[in-house]
Amino acid sequence: MDINFSFIVIDDSELDCFVTRKFLERTNESLIISTFQSAQHALETIRENPAGDNSIPTIILLDLQMPFMNGFEFVEEFEKLSAEVQKNYMIIILTILSSVNNPGDIYRIYNFGTVKSIIEKPLNKEKLISLLNYIRPAI
Amino acid sequence: MSEKIKILYVDDEPENLVGFKASLRLDYQILTATNVPLAISILNDHPEIRVVFCDQRMPGKSGVDFFEEIRISHPLAVRIMLTAYTDVDSIIDAINKGNIFRFVKKPWIEADIIWAIAEANKFYLANSMLSIKNDELQKAYNELNKFAYSVSHDIRGPLSGLLGAMNLASDIDDIDEMKEMLSLMEKSVKKLDTYVLSMHDYYSLQRGELKITEIDFNKVIEELKAIYTVLSRINKVKLEISIHQDGIFRSDYAPLRLIFNNLLSNAFKYQERNSTNKSVEMIVEVQNGVATIYVKDTGIGILGSHVGEIFNLFYRSNSLEVGSGFGLYNVKSALSKLNGQIEVQSVLHQGTTFKVTIPSI
Repeated sequence: MDINFSFIVIDDSELDCFVTRKFLERTNESLIISTFQSAQHALETIRENPAGDNSIPTIILLDLQMPFMNGFEFVEEFEKLSAEVQKNYMIIILTILSSVNNPGDIYRIYNFGTVKSIIEKPLNKEKLISLLNYIRPAI
Repeated sequence: MSEKIKILYVDDEPENLVGFKASLRLDYQILTATNVPLAISILNDHPEIRVVFCDQRMPGKSGVDFFEEIRISHPLAVRIMLTAYTDVDSIIDAINKGNIFRFVKKPWIEADIIWAIAEANKFYLANSMLSIKNDELQKAYNELNKFAYSVSHDIRGPLSGLLGAMNLASDIDDIDEMKEMLSLMEKSVKKLDTYVLSMHDYYSLQRGELKITEIDFNKVIEELKAIYTVLSRINKVKLEISIHQDGIFRSDYAPLRLIFNNLLSNAFKYQERNSTNKSVEMIVEVQNGVATIYVKDTGIGILGSHVGEIFNLFYRSNSLEVGSGFGLYNVKSALSKLNGQIEVQSVLHQGTTFKVTIPSI
């Protein structure tokens, strides 16, 4: 357990931000967690702090359906940042999936190089542990 | 009696035009043109023209070519060709290209023309009804699409949040942490409830008939005042309301109340959080059968580039506060029922003023 992660949670719902943060805090990892209810605000923070948290890899848990700037727009803007900045981050989509969602949307989001995985809401402990197991070797 | 049907007749021989007009002008409104450019400019000036007659043989553009052109530019006008039997090729050509409704042989007799007009008019009416219905259907279909999307986000979103929270609850031992989560859960449930209520508003506005009564604005506001005085005290937002009503005002109570309620609730909702000088002001002036309502706030304002979109269904320009994207759309629907208008002026971080004008019905 010597590897630490830093997490950025982007979700317009205050409750979802809270729940995700609490689940993360309960994983026994030592994590740095910040939550944002606005994707725009998160993006500005990343721009101001391009190195992320030093040598610790930063995982962005991103909701797709948000007002003002949605998840797609966030990823598009994120991929305009320099490769130096992008390599410090990894994007994981955390969203509701349903038959109403355009299947093209899911295909589209996977076409972004910076998006590594999709997790379906609601989040629970099992999903989070399998995510951590998935990202640990990737880093 | 209803207005006369408007008819355009295009022929390069003026005497034909005169003869046509002379025999039909009592029953129809006849417009004539001696060449194609003039005919097109007449069609542009009179989009209500229902039937266009055209001679096949004209210098420059032929009748077939003219019809082919206006089929695209003026699709609703019904096209009838006037031609001699010797023009068989052009008749076949015109029919095959689907450009004409009928042809009438030259020299024509009045009965043929009158019958052709009557048939063309029926066709025109059926077509225009169809195109109106089509537009309505397209609009309803677009809104349904938005609905499907919104149901997944605005209903399933809070539900999945609540499910996640319940999952987490089994791991929470700390009572304060639990209480914090419960209060966030409560917010989610309330948001869901508001959403369902505004969906009901939306539905009744789309389907409901108007119920016109005499409106006393003092009474309308009195009810709302009770709710907003409490909000004003809790959120430390100064609330000022002034009402001047001269004379009788007739309108529908329910949409009026919806308009006031949404504008006031937005004015409170979108206040600058850390400001110490928060206020909401509402002015109602009723004069000469017109109600003018101002709702001013000292709130966060609306970004210039978003002002055009705030009345769209499910549009939310701000992520800080809860909004369903129904509110201003419903306000606009309510106003269009009452023949009202709305204008908005907004300065970012200073505030927004909505001005509503509604005529007495």
